[in-house]
Amino acid sequence: MSTALTTLASKRPQAGADLLRIVRINEQIKRVVGVSFKINIMALNAIFLAKRAGTAALGFGVLSNELRVFSQDLRNCMDALTGLIHDCVNEVSVVLQDTRQTRLLEQAAGLAPAQPALIRVLHTREQAGEEHAQRLSSLRRQLKRALEDAFQMVELGGVLAKSAKIEAAYGQSFAPALAQVSGEFDGIVEEIRSSLETLRRSAFVAGN
Amino acid sequence: MKTTKTIFQDGSHKWIAIVRDPAKPNFLVDTNEYLVTHGDQALVLDPGGAEIFPAVFSALSAEFDPSALSGIFASHQDPDICSSLALWLEFNPGMKCYVSWLWGGFIPHFGGNADTFVAIPDEGMDISLGGLILRAVPAHYLHSSGNFNLYDKVAKILFSGDVGAALLPPGMDGLFVENFDAHIRHAEGFHRRWMGSNEAKRRWCERVSQMEIDLLCPQHGAIYQGNDVQRFINWFDELQVGIAGA
Repeated sequence: MSTALTTLASKRPQAGADLLRIVRINEQIKRVVGVSFKINIMALNAIFLAKRAGTAALGFGVLSNELRVFSQDLRNCMDALTGLIHDCVNEVSVVLQDTRQTRLLEQAAGLAPAQPALIRVLHTREQAGEEHAQRLSSLRRQLKRALEDAFQMVELGGVLAKSAKIEAAYGQSFAPALAQVSGEFDGIVEEIRSSLETLRRSAFVAGN
Repeated sequence: MKTTKTIFQDGSHKWIAIVRDPAKPNFLVDTNEYLVTHGDQALVLDPGGAEIFPAVFSALSAEFDPSALSGIFASHQDPDICSSLALWLEFNPGMKCYVSWLWGGFIPHFGGNADTFVAIPDEGMDISLGGLILRAVPAHYLHSSGNFNLYDKVAKILFSGDVGAALLPPGMDGLFVENFDAHIRHAEGFHRRWMGSNEAKRRWCERVSQMEIDLLCPQHGAIYQGNDVQRFINWFDELQVGIAGA
């Protein structure tokens, strides 16, 4: 088998595994999008609660507003990630289709080894395969960067949730209700952090 | 690998049957492909499914330069007919695919672009192959609703697609029908179930009875030759089709 054929053959299981990984990443992103929507609703409720608490929950009210902005930013960030994932799925699907066709052409080459037209076609396919690999590699890098951005955002969300917990303590008669809401914020931010951590560890993003 | 058998030759005008791959997995239905050459041009008839492409390609390339193929004739839209289309187009992206207009929007799912397809009207059409005129003969509903056979008046050969097809048991792998009565038993169930219209069948029998046919070449099974051609047409004419067991 020529170098070109060996290279093409070695890409076969990779594309299928990548597609599976991307599908899993997409499911994880959908989860984060759902959770960030939940934060938005919670922040809205917290804003109403802070209004009712009046001057005793001024700080909590400011933080609730920030958490609401955070949830919107997080959703935008997840939209960007979803777009990148869509491009990755598209690219890997093309590679999968090419892989099947290349497998059949390679089998033909095994049966008719000296066919110049076939050697030419396989060479063209190898070049196209390299272009796909480069595009996928670029998408993978973009995905990694977008995930890091999301992580930084979640760090901020974590700080906001913890500050809200502190502010809740000053809420006088509203303190237990505010503490419950800020505790839920914190729990959800941790859930998002854990999801992003899983995404970061994904073999597709890590480039394994 | 499939083998090639020249079933007609007059100078550069040839009909080559590409048949019987011993390495083919049993779960794939066996198919016959045909190559018609004339001068420096060639048309491949029902080139087959993607999974059997390597076997067909290697056999065909022993006879003809695959990058010089002028076109593909697809009798209908089934995957065992031309799901290998994209692979053949790799060798000559300008190659034409002749297929019923009915499948114009369906076959491109196998490959090709807007320039690839030549839509055959319901009444059929002439296809020129380096000056040789081949006739796309209507065989609608036998079994596909947009279905064509290909007739070569000079060679007196009718490529009949699924008409005449037989699913032969192991051991019965001769290229030509040797014992009509024994052979036709393996064609009966197929025709009763797959051919959907008695009216269409009657019209086909009338149409092809008026043609001079030395060889009737189906896409599955053995080729009918000589008196077996008319014997098959008479048998088919009397057969009640469009019948399912349930």
